[in-house]
Amino acid sequence: MTGASRPAARLELPTILGAIHPRARWTETRLLAIAAVALVVGSISLSAGMTGRLALYAPQGLTIYLVALGLAHLAQVLAGRRSDEVLLPVVGLLGGISLLLMQRLPQDLVTMEVGGLALGLGDTQLLWLVLAIGVATTLGIVVRSDSGLRRYKYTWAAAGIALLLLTFVFGSDVAGQRLTLRLGPFSGQPSELLKVILVVFLAGYLSENRPLLIEQDTRLGPLRLPPLPYLTPMVAMWAIALGIVVVQRDLGAALLFYAVFLALVYAATGRLSLVVIGSILFFLGSAVMANLFDHVRARIDIWVDPFADPLGAGYQVVQSLHAFARGGLLGTGLGEGLPMVGGRLPIPEVHTDFPLAALGEELGLVGVIAILGLFFVLIERGLRIGAAAADDFRAILAVGLALVVGVQAFIIAGGNLKVLPLTGVTLPFISYGGSSLLVNAIVVGLLLALSDKGVEPPPPPTGVRRWRDRLRRRAA
Amino acid sequence: MLATSSRRRPLGRTIVHVALVLTLAFAVLAGAGGYWAVVRSTDLTHSPYDPAVIAASRTVPRGRIIDREGNVLVRNKEDANGELYRVYSGETISQVVGYASGRYGRAGLELAYDAELSGLAGDPLADALRKFGTDPYDPKDLHLALSWDLQRAAVRALGARRGAVVMLDPRTGEVLALASTPTYDASAISNPATSQAAFEALQNDPGQPLLPRATLGRYVPGSVFKIVTAIAGLASGAITPETTYAEQPPAEKDGLLVEGFRIRDGHHRVTGNRRLDLVEATEVSCNIWYALTGLRTGGAELVDHAARLGFGSPIPFDLPTAASQVTDGSGSAPGGFVDDVELANAAYGQAETFVTPLQMALVASSIANGGELMRPRLVTAMTGKGGTRQIGAQTLAHVLNPADAASINRAMVAAVEGDLGRQFTTGAKVPGVTTAGKSGTAELGGRGEPHSWFIGFAPAEAPTIAIAVIVEQAGRGAEVAAPIGGDLMALHLGAGG
Repeated sequence: MTGASRPAARLELPTILGAIHPRARWTETRLLAIAAVALVVGSISLSAGMTGRLALYAPQGLTIYLVALGLAHLAQVLAGRRSDEVLLPVVGLLGGISLLLMQRLPQDLVTMEVGGLALGLGDTQLLWLVLAIGVATTLGIVVRSDSGLRRYKYTWAAAGIALLLLTFVFGSDVAGQRLTLRLGPFSGQPSELLKVILVVFLAGYLSENRPLLIEQDTRLGPLRLPPLPYLTPMVAMWAIALGIVVVQRDLGAALLFYAVFLALVYAATGRLSLVVIGSILFFLGSAVMANLFDHVRARIDIWVDPFADPLGAGYQVVQSLHAFARGGLLGTGLGEGLPMVGGRLPIPEVHTDFPLAALGEELGLVGVIAILGLFFVLIERGLRIGAAAADDFRAILAVGLALVVGVQAFIIAGGNLKVLPLTGVTLPFISYGGSSLLVNAIVVGLLLALSDKGVEPPPPPTGVRRWRDRLRRRAA
Repeated sequence: MLATSSRRRPLGRTIVHVALVLTLAFAVLAGAGGYWAVVRSTDLTHSPYDPAVIAASRTVPRGRIIDREGNVLVRNKEDANGELYRVYSGETISQVVGYASGRYGRAGLELAYDAELSGLAGDPLADALRKFGTDPYDPKDLHLALSWDLQRAAVRALGARRGAVVMLDPRTGEVLALASTPTYDASAISNPATSQAAFEALQNDPGQPLLPRATLGRYVPGSVFKIVTAIAGLASGAITPETTYAEQPPAEKDGLLVEGFRIRDGHHRVTGNRRLDLVEATEVSCNIWYALTGLRTGGAELVDHAARLGFGSPIPFDLPTAASQVTDGSGSAPGGFVDDVELANAAYGQAETFVTPLQMALVASSIANGGELMRPRLVTAMTGKGGTRQIGAQTLAHVLNPADAASINRAMVAAVEGDLGRQFTTGAKVPGVTTAGKSGTAELGGRGEPHSWFIGFAPAEAPTIAIAVIVEQAGRGAEVAAPIGGDLMALHLGAGG
């Protein structure tokens, strides 16, 4: 197969692309074909449910989406990248499920005007999905070096905090939460971008200080801790997470940041004591928050017993559980569920906060487990990329990127299923929303780049050795 | 040069740990999905809060409810906006059928069978197949064991008084009448035009017409509870039908002293110094004989055998039921009694003993059916598109062997027909038919008139009807409840039942 593609390597293209060396990606091709078949079947099933006809439902949308996936595949083949071949099909299938769901929901849930064209929910999501595939593919192909991320970790951290402050000062309140930042015609949720910046910073910090964090001890009672000064930036992270809860009322983002932070600290140091202390701090913080802030306590009360007030506070969660119950094992079929009462959908905010419940109703438990499985495969690929990475920075970065997607999926799926209190984070690649899709696309793009065996090798770990020698000398 | 690097622990191991934790987390999610989508699926999708149920209630005509003679008790009607609402055949059935209102939800059978009536649920197979059909709704007609005639007669007999009547066929558990008074007009609640005013008035009514007394009312039983004590005594082997107590006749005059508490009787005039056995003690409703029987049986056995009759937990029934109790269980003596005083008083139904009328009807029914207690049933069949599904008779428990049941049967006949019994349970006799029964006068501790109770069955040789009657604070059981019981059984048996 490589033999067949070899002649193409001699093609001369414009210098901006450089000489291209196409390389077949058969695993990706096959998996994408399977995903495409699944989506076509889904679309026909959706059409049968909505209109009673056996045809593609909104065929232009699905066609554009599948062509975009095909082009993304082709671009990677042409670029000759030796990157992971499972990520794109998995993300492509999740995005396709999202497209079918958004096409199926009432189109007037979201309207957007682009160049005099009024787009409904399905078309808007399609636009974001295609952009997201473009971003992921471009990053996967173009990023050939990690030095920009590796060197400027404090700059990134500063940018993240600046972004947070900007949202706080200039952000607009939506549903009692100050999460949205408007920039001209665009609006987005910076906390989505912040999660990537956090991972980049942590990867830089932890990989640089890893030897110290592992080998130096400070005794605190029965616990053996790393040297306390090196924990300061981490405690600052903890404070920032709590600050997000207090200022922005964004419990989901805080939970996500904190969980990823703890997981990365453990992955880098292997110290369980840090996780234990972190968890204790988390529960203490939660208890204090629950006592101080009504909105936190309300979330927890609803979580403990949503059926106590099924028509009031617990409404969303109760309706989500009802949706899973109506779906049962096999689901009602796409387009057959979500009974409308008085022209309203049974679950408020289904397209952002409860897509899993909607899919749970129409695809059943089987569908839910399949979707969870897709996320699980995504995480597994990310962790695998991390384990195979050339150095600590890349390893921690890859693990962190996998975790921000995986843990976020867990948090919102858990909220839908009453495993966790409900928080308003999106279900990656499935929820409606441009900023969520684009940021998760950046994550996938970086994972693709990190998995590429052809990228620039990491620099030798000079800085660490210097520090280490200095410590040795002082000890001696 | 690379000595330091080699001493570094690889990241691989900790990454595997992170992967394990995430695996566990996702397994929990899948488990939760299974819990809500499979384990809790039926009860959530049948709930009136489910939007599918609500949506169906607005567009699909609900199933009808039909009595045993084919009278349609509940129909659908269209209001001015074309929305459907329910119309009920009179006030006498309101406590059974309940109501279905867009504003105030559902009650009674309309609540209990909401999913079936609205057409969202049936048998599991149809539920699974429904997803592939074009018309998802299949409303079921409910066929009741209830007799509208008997139900109306029962409500009429209670009249303006508060009370309840439960009549059932002891052989099958079919509930023929389930009357509670005061009643209310369920049609006024279901009709959107009158709904609000009607419901608010009913909520503020001191007579609590919305309370289905027959199933949810808990009353002091008084002497009707003696049948439970007799069952426990015989079934546990503590007594035989011939058991007598040497201390009983001398105690009749001044009362029986139990740990300083004096249990009194009022039949000394007619029994003199005779030692009473089961039949005679039941005939004259001897408190002392039953107190002694309760003490000999013991608290643990009394509570245990009452539980087989349904005490201690809600009775499995088509409608929600309150749990009846022998004792509140706060004591440390066997069975949860505080002491022998409470046990002795409970044995004749005057301690922390509370019962529902349905529970007492089951007590009578179990004796009538030779010790085999049948599950009470209102709905006997459901008819939908896919045909009719019968709901058959089901044994709830074997509470007594047939010989002991026959002994209590004889004792209850004596209570109605015996020379001495007639003085205590007048009026329960069904003309021309051997009638068994037991009346009760439940003292409420000085708070006004006692509750008037009667339980019984007929014909005693081969019972086809069992009954429990309570009239709140109406006086002696023999004078008020017993004649109602006799009349209603006579009406049913005369009608060829």
